[in-house]
Amino acid sequence: MKLSINQSRKLWWAISAVAIITGIAAMLISWQQIGAPLRPSLDFVGGTRLQLERDCSQPNNCAQPIDITAVREVLAAQGLANSSIQILGQEQQGISIRTSTLDVEQRTQLQDALSQRIGAFDPQSTQIDTVGPTIGRQLLSSGLLALIVSFGGIIVYISLRFQLDFAVFAITALLHDVLFTAGVFAILGLVWGVEVDSLFIVALLTITGFSVNDTVVIYDRIREILKVNPDRSISEIVDDAVNQTLARSINTTLTTMLALFAIFLFGGETLKNFALALIIGFICGAYSSIFIASTLLSWWRERHGQRLATQSTAVIDSPPEDT
Amino acid sequence: MQRQRSLLALIVVLVIAAIVAIARLPISLGLDLQGGSQLTIQVQPTAEIPQITDRELEAVQSVIENRINGLGVSEPVVQTVGQDQILVQLPGVSNPEQAERVLGGTAQLEFRTQRPGTEAQLFAEQQVRLGLLAKQQELRATNNTTEIQQNQEAIERSNAAIAQLFESTNPPLTGRNLEDAYGQPTQAPNNWEVGIRFDSPGAELFAQLTRDLAGTGRSIGIFLDNELISAPTVGPQFAQTGITGGSAVITGRFTAQEANDLAIQLRGGALPVPVEIVENRTVGATLGRDSIQRSIYAGIGGLILVLIFMVVYYRVPGIIADLSLCVYALLTWASFALLGVTLTLPGIAGFILSIGMAVDANVLIFERTREELRAGKSLYRSVESGFYRAFSSILDSNVTTWIACAALFWLGAGLVRGFALTLALGIAVSMFTAITCSRTLMFIAISLPSLRKPELYCPNLPTVRRAEVAR
Repeated sequence: MKLSINQSRKLWWAISAVAIITGIAAMLISWQQIGAPLRPSLDFVGGTRLQLERDCSQPNNCAQPIDITAVREVLAAQGLANSSIQILGQEQQGISIRTSTLDVEQRTQLQDALSQRIGAFDPQSTQIDTVGPTIGRQLLSSGLLALIVSFGGIIVYISLRFQLDFAVFAITALLHDVLFTAGVFAILGLVWGVEVDSLFIVALLTITGFSVNDTVVIYDRIREILKVNPDRSISEIVDDAVNQTLARSINTTLTTMLALFAIFLFGGETLKNFALALIIGFICGAYSSIFIASTLLSWWRERHGQRLATQSTAVIDSPPEDT
Repeated sequence: MQRQRSLLALIVVLVIAAIVAIARLPISLGLDLQGGSQLTIQVQPTAEIPQITDRELEAVQSVIENRINGLGVSEPVVQTVGQDQILVQLPGVSNPEQAERVLGGTAQLEFRTQRPGTEAQLFAEQQVRLGLLAKQQELRATNNTTEIQQNQEAIERSNAAIAQLFESTNPPLTGRNLEDAYGQPTQAPNNWEVGIRFDSPGAELFAQLTRDLAGTGRSIGIFLDNELISAPTVGPQFAQTGITGGSAVITGRFTAQEANDLAIQLRGGALPVPVEIVENRTVGATLGRDSIQRSIYAGIGGLILVLIFMVVYYRVPGIIADLSLCVYALLTWASFALLGVTLTLPGIAGFILSIGMAVDANVLIFERTREELRAGKSLYRSVESGFYRAFSSILDSNVTTWIACAALFWLGAGLVRGFALTLALGIAVSMFTAITCSRTLMFIAISLPSLRKPELYCPNLPTVRRAEVAR
């Protein structure tokens, strides 16, 4: 099988454009509904999340599932009516409550009221997260800053190792992946209320690393063929480079997916969305390296000539003598 | 072949060293895995102290440390973060509400008068307390939570008994009246003292207090959060007027360190800066254990799937890749142990992810080897140039991931840093194992006659070669 990706590059660009525009539209709708492009978790906006589990070692404590209306009444009595409540676990013996930021007194009061109404909780499986609004803003801004800094670092590195236009298209592909992943999570946020936390920013950064990683391998091959055959047409070279690295792209993505699906299926609750973001981003990254970064490069070089300065990398890339 | 042998020996030595390191050094678990509370405490500026400087932060930190000692938690961590925050980690704390209440208040420093006739009692109580504190130090090392708790209750009883022996002045002389405290060397060599300075209402109160106590042998009780931190006495020469002027020195056989510590404690108590707990992340112990178990299952599951895939797809090189993946996992785990990485949930994810990515270097090399074989080169040449040519791709792709890790480590906080560190380390080790371990094993494999068959390295070679020629 041989792919001629350059033949139908308008099609690939159209697919990506539609996917990204859908994502952006979802972010805009989300912005109108909840005031943010993605549904932020308390990591970014602050608040208190209480996760409690009934202590089933006590007699008659876990006779029936937790009644969500009872929880709602308790919260209303505490003046926390607009909190979100979730019943957790298969036996429905756990609750997760998200409220505005509570201090110790308010929180203890709430916990006491809940255990009076619902039953004793097991302190060993209690989880409390309280994030003040300032901390939330700090987390968000430092996360975004990390994202921008690593973009800058990657542009500089690829420009040094390759050339500026390679770097620009690698970053284009990378933005494509980040936007696509964010778009999917915007939709998930609208449909199922999936929230993004600080691990989501970590996921985006890992996706950028992986996406560029994939692109660089193809670029590396383009550079190699270009050096041996400087007069072949760029789109043929790009097609060849993609085909020669295709098995590697697929296998690497596949092995990484095996690890990620393991986290997604068996990992803890915290890591589920993280693994999901990576799965989406990595698949998208493999797609964009092949169909976006490479086709954009050949389109650009067709228009602006394909000379490549190879001096800077000549030492590392000179192939071994073949006999 | 000589080089291969010595590299193989190196790898064997490294693997043995890694196993020893893993067996000897336990990896410390983050709070999200072992359970516990992580609190971020923000120091708030006030009208009097509009800017929080290092000096204030240091003082507040000492107050916080004092209070944590009072909680009786084993292995607490207290760090300053940025300009005005203090990060506190309390592993295994069972009562986060108590911790928050104790840590969240403004420091209370008070100078009190010893009640008449309690001199002998104070001495005895202080001996008891010293004994209990020394025992607490020992217990901390053992990690025995129940005993630490019991001893802590004994310390609290002792503190309360000591507090009984003192009474407040009227009006009370508190940290609000203390302007500064500092360690300074005395005239005598290697001896230090602590200077204190009060504001003018404080100076009057202090003069009155010292006049009452001068020459009696009773001491000034300096209490921080209701705990006696110093009990100096006043000489008889001040019996007429007390110590006037608002300045005094606390002498004693202080080392520079001791004098500074006491001064910092006093300053901390003198600060009218309120603190606020702006972040609390508490994970119950059982929840943490549950996450470890699930993550380990995920890790092992992912690893096995990858191992199977590699053998099925790449044959002999696949087996080699699997061996070097196992070496990779051992070395990475050992380097976590050696560098004292605290393992968090995202850290485990970073590790699992790096297993998936560690395969990438091998995949690059083997695909390259296959290509060279298809181009009609000899097995040895193909393997050699497979490694040679794949190297620049491996390097470039790993450097870009490192850049992302560096940004995360530099700008991220807490859990995020754990992920960045484990991923970056994993990539570094994977480069090493791909280049040394896979390479050495590959060359050893192709030197064995029974394994020197190109089709073991590249299935359906002839057909593909025909296709290449046709092109």
